[in-house]
Amino acid sequence: MIGMGAYGMMVKRNLIRILLGAEIMGNGVNIALVAVSLYSPVFTFTGQALIILIIAVATGHTAIAMVLMLMYNRRYHTVDLGRPIKEVEENE
Amino acid sequence: MQGIEILLEQVEFISIAIIVLLLAYLALEHRDIVYAVFFFGLMAAAVGGFFLLLEAPFIAGMQIAVYTGGISALIIFGVLLLPRAQDSSLEVFESPRRRAWGMALSVIVATFSAFLALLFPWYEAFPEGAPELSQSLQGLAAWLWADHGIYVQMIALIIFTSIIGSVTMLKMEKAERLSAITGEFGVEAEPGPDTGIEEKEEEVDEQ
Repeated sequence: MIGMGAYGMMVKRNLIRILLGAEIMGNGVNIALVAVSLYSPVFTFTGQALIILIIAVATGHTAIAMVLMLMYNRRYHTVDLGRPIKEVEENE
Repeated sequence: MQGIEILLEQVEFISIAIIVLLLAYLALEHRDIVYAVFFFGLMAAAVGGFFLLLEAPFIAGMQIAVYTGGISALIIFGVLLLPRAQDSSLEVFESPRRRAWGMALSVIVATFSAFLALLFPWYEAFPEGAPELSQSLQGLAAWLWADHGIYVQMIALIIFTSIIGSVTMLKMEKAERLSAITGEFGVEAEPGPDTGIEEKEEEVDEQ
């Protein structure tokens, strides 16, 4: 899942696909953290509490990402990440 | 009997893994972005199955409530506000070199995470002698609210700040676009191509 999320973040240029890739990657990390906390010889709730923190912060960062996308769309009139990069390369 | 239970758990794990990977692939590759977000929501619900297998039912419930119910709906609202997001020509970078670099980096990330998950000695990473807690929802609640309540309040503060920040960012941008008309925010009133000043002046003249 982490690799698939990384693929979405690095290969796609649609901002919403990139956000989906980041969320998929975050889900993979959550599963890994819970699994590792279960591996502990003495069970504690640290892993689960950390996941609660991560899920809560994920909500906030998704809200911020959506706002940044809206602002990007207003400025460039697209959600294509490649267009400003292309414009910069053409200007150079 | 115990062997059958272990076998069933392995079958459940493999089934959920296949479903999750398939839905993640569809979320990234489906041509219609709205369907892609729906597939992401389904994938998040299936990930809850992993948490149930890992004996974390509270996390499973929270995963389904937040990811499937909240974040998917938020992204769908974003898609509705961004009609250009439906453009399927925006899928991957045109340059094959950039695509190849992206694929190579994602393979490296996947390999490294698989190495960490399978080969890293996790047992040795934990300290011995920590107090043993009962594995129950009550125990988790006591751990969170009684022992570490301040962190829960910090989480709530982070979410509140991010939501207020999101709304403020959008409002500030709107206010900056209107500043040429109202004269606020220290911006000089210079008529631009899309400031709407001419229209505003015409309306005032008509009145």
